[in-house]
Amino acid sequence: MKGFRSLWTLTAVSIKMYFRNRTAVFFTLFLPLVFIAVFGLLSKSSAPIIKLDITNQSHSELASGFITALDKISTFDVTQTSEQNAANQLGKGKIDLQVIIPADFGQMNSKTHQIEPTQLTTHYNQASPGNGQTANLVLGQILAGINSGISHTPQIISLDSTGVKTNNLTEIDFLLPGILGMTIMQLGIFSVAFAFVSMKTTGMLRRIQATPTHPVNFVIAQAITRLIIGVLDVALLVGLGVVFFGFHLLGSLVLFMFFAILGTLVFLAFGFAVAGFAKDENAAAPIANIVSFPMLLLSGVFFPSTGFPTWLRAITDRLPLTYLVDALRSIANQGTPITQLGGDVLGLTIWGIVMFFVAVKVFSWE
Amino acid sequence: MADYLIEVSDLRKVYSGGFEAVKGVSFSVKKGEVFGILGPNGAGKTTTLEMIEGMRPITSGKATIDGIDVAKDPYAVKQRIGIQLQASSFFPNLTLLELLKLFNDLYADSSDPMELLKEVDLEDKAKSEAKQLSGGQKQRFSIATTLVNKPVAIFLDEPTTGLDPQARRNLWSLVQQIQKKGTTVILTTHYMDEAQVLCHRVAIMDEGKIIALDTPKALINQLLGRGFKPKTTVAPATLEDVFIDLTGKELRD
Repeated sequence: MKGFRSLWTLTAVSIKMYFRNRTAVFFTLFLPLVFIAVFGLLSKSSAPIIKLDITNQSHSELASGFITALDKISTFDVTQTSEQNAANQLGKGKIDLQVIIPADFGQMNSKTHQIEPTQLTTHYNQASPGNGQTANLVLGQILAGINSGISHTPQIISLDSTGVKTNNLTEIDFLLPGILGMTIMQLGIFSVAFAFVSMKTTGMLRRIQATPTHPVNFVIAQAITRLIIGVLDVALLVGLGVVFFGFHLLGSLVLFMFFAILGTLVFLAFGFAVAGFAKDENAAAPIANIVSFPMLLLSGVFFPSTGFPTWLRAITDRLPLTYLVDALRSIANQGTPITQLGGDVLGLTIWGIVMFFVAVKVFSWE
Repeated sequence: MADYLIEVSDLRKVYSGGFEAVKGVSFSVKKGEVFGILGPNGAGKTTTLEMIEGMRPITSGKATIDGIDVAKDPYAVKQRIGIQLQASSFFPNLTLLELLKLFNDLYADSSDPMELLKEVDLEDKAKSEAKQLSGGQKQRFSIATTLVNKPVAIFLDEPTTGLDPQARRNLWSLVQQIQKKGTTVILTTHYMDEAQVLCHRVAIMDEGKIIALDTPKALINQLLGRGFKPKTTVAPATLEDVFIDLTGKELRD
């Protein structure tokens, strides 16, 4: 129980110290948010959003189904409003396309039990005809689908549209998992290496050794603190991404968290190893940079590594950050389940175990 | 033998490189005394102290504190003693009060942090961080952290090195005050005046061995008995006396 009390206290103290350390908070919590905000804003403006105002005068199921179909297209920003209002908006250039669904749209003829033919009216903004015409084409496609469905025309040629999903993904969907992976790496390597080396050089670790508390409690407390910060980072970045920048987390958030935690553990082992190698703070910085910088460039954080020559990919594919970023990205972008991420789990685990033993080997309390 | 708190016999330390830092040291410390280990730099004072404290593995020999074998149960020993390290510093971003609470928990003890700060005359610094303290204040705080677990003995490694004369005198009276409450004090120093003022008995170490052990008075008498004559006639006052007289005794921190 005594051991538990000191572990608990050391963890609480270590968290308190972490949040009072402005540099640590800046680099591991604030800076990643700035990254996401900047890249989020950049990628937001590059993705064209087509604004539609729809006036639905029909009460039929077909009409509401049609609107739902439009709503699902993520490049469409669909608003339902009155005809007058929509016309105003179009006139001001605030929307790209005005769609009017007539009252008889999808109405059943009581005698023939068939849907009455009707006409959909659209007006597009002549100042930016591109967006309006694109929207018109998509509308035409959907209507053609509805038509052939109603008239039971056999579909002779169909379009395999699996690509649509990836087209919906924007820059932020690529970058956010990368930046998260980078943050987790920095959190593990830098914050642990610096904190530990400074505790070593100032003699604080020795001072703990002078108490009946085993200093391994202190190591565990430091690790728990980083794990908490790691989880906080995921929550903040994903939250910010989803709420403000249209980030898609198609897979499970729990699985996403699992990889973030596994990644933090792996890079904590790296951090402790660096702390073991480094004699003082001046030595810690270059060692930490030598370890992390190549991964930052080669692990597909900011740009995909698919363009690298084969021999280089043979190396970069096996870097721990590559496994982490790859897993985070496929969970977010493709909703990949854990069963298909065995390779990443294995890669990270092996790195974690190897670095743990390296850290134990080179670690010293003084 | 019951009045010996610490017993050290034939303690030896050989570092992994083969360097023998301590070459068979034996001594006993009485309950309630201030015991000094003197010696030039590199004499093995700190290594000896750290072996007794359970901070450094013992190559051979034996050390017991309060009847507990240090090598067998270093944690039980650490629970009973207070250790001040040479030039120890503290966690950044924590106040003195928070640090003392932390030490409370590390010892699973429940001392009143404010009471401890009062004891070392730092209660007005409770909300400051350790790095904001002056040299003398730091050492006093450091001693406060050794008292958290109400130890039977405290170990002070060069507690006055780098302090100005006023702060040194202030620390001396703190040590005497702690000793008067019944705590045994073991300290290292290379200031002979300090040893003479504070220590009931001193061991002089050189090159890993104890070359003399007695009360300061007895050691001086032995030297005089060997026919020693000071090179210069002893002045009735020293330059330090002048300094203290001119600048006053009160603390400057």
